[in-house]
Amino acid sequence: MEIKNYGDLSGLEIDTLKEIGSIGTGNAATALSQLIGKEVRITLPEVRIMGYNEAIEWIGGPESITAGVLSQLGGEINGIMLSVQQMDFINLVLSNVLGVSVADFNKLQEMQISTLVEVGNIMISTFINALSGLADISISLTVPAFAVDMQGAILTVPMAAYGGQSDYIMTIGGNFVCDNKQVPCRLLLSPDIRSLNFLLRKLGVMDE
Amino acid sequence: MKMGRNGEKIITYALGSCIGICLYEPHLKLAALVHIMLPLNMETGRKNTYKYADTGIRAALREMELKGARRAAITAKIAGGARMFEVSGGSLGNIGQRNAESVHQILRMEKVPLLWEDVGGTVARTMEFDSATGTGVIRSYGRPEIKF
Repeated sequence: MEIKNYGDLSGLEIDTLKEIGSIGTGNAATALSQLIGKEVRITLPEVRIMGYNEAIEWIGGPESITAGVLSQLGGEINGIMLSVQQMDFINLVLSNVLGVSVADFNKLQEMQISTLVEVGNIMISTFINALSGLADISISLTVPAFAVDMQGAILTVPMAAYGGQSDYIMTIGGNFVCDNKQVPCRLLLSPDIRSLNFLLRKLGVMDE
Repeated sequence: MKMGRNGEKIITYALGSCIGICLYEPHLKLAALVHIMLPLNMETGRKNTYKYADTGIRAALREMELKGARRAAITAKIAGGARMFEVSGGSLGNIGQRNAESVHQILRMEKVPLLWEDVGGTVARTMEFDSATGTGVIRSYGRPEIKF
């Protein structure tokens, strides 16, 4: 049955999306591990379909400052993927790749920003590669864009892009474990509704 | 949509491409703050009234009138409509701009004078509005506070 918004998803369909999230973040952790040259594991990720207000609370409130890396999905699927990089994550990456750490977002220098964009890009690409392999569809990604600002405003970008169709977004959260420290990993995926239907059909979980 | 009167402060957080519209009726000291995300309501059944500029502004004006506001005395101040990410192509980059155009148009059609605006740019804004005075403040990251 064709779904009209995320609220119509069946239990099986949600489980399938969770499985994709789990495989995707596993691959993203491997990619991160190769990049920083250390073992990175990921705790069992939690994949949920959330309302937007709930998603903003989940990520830590609207006014907290964060960095976001965003790519648009094209090809057989349209959508937006966002990697939210909070301070702990940023310092995990910067200390291992560049050997520096920063105390505030406004201290980020160009070289550090381009490292973060690349890390976000690699995580998004690995995630999307896993998705496209599982569903046997081709997905292209745009060059990633970067912003530092209030979380609420950054999360509104995928919301506003498809907000006319649905009030829900897919959130993928887990913790990267590196050097015995846990660092939150926050990814958001927002396919448009047509693409979500196409994806579920390709994965064979949607009743015709 | 939030309403406040007689000195209550109303606030909306982290306006990115969204727009905050402060409507104010000075005689009653009645304030409404609408936080819209998209320019036009094209939903079937037109639910989610306050998510859209057209239905949101009109519904807020009606609510104010129900509370006794004189329509001709209501004025507006707006902020938001930023571009959060520099994305090439597509409609993603200019949602803020389309929101601003739609808000301008609806205010004009409803004959609500626009007294002040801080729209566009690339920063998120938190907007706080004081129903005692009809003034407020915009807070952003990496930019000084703006009083309005």
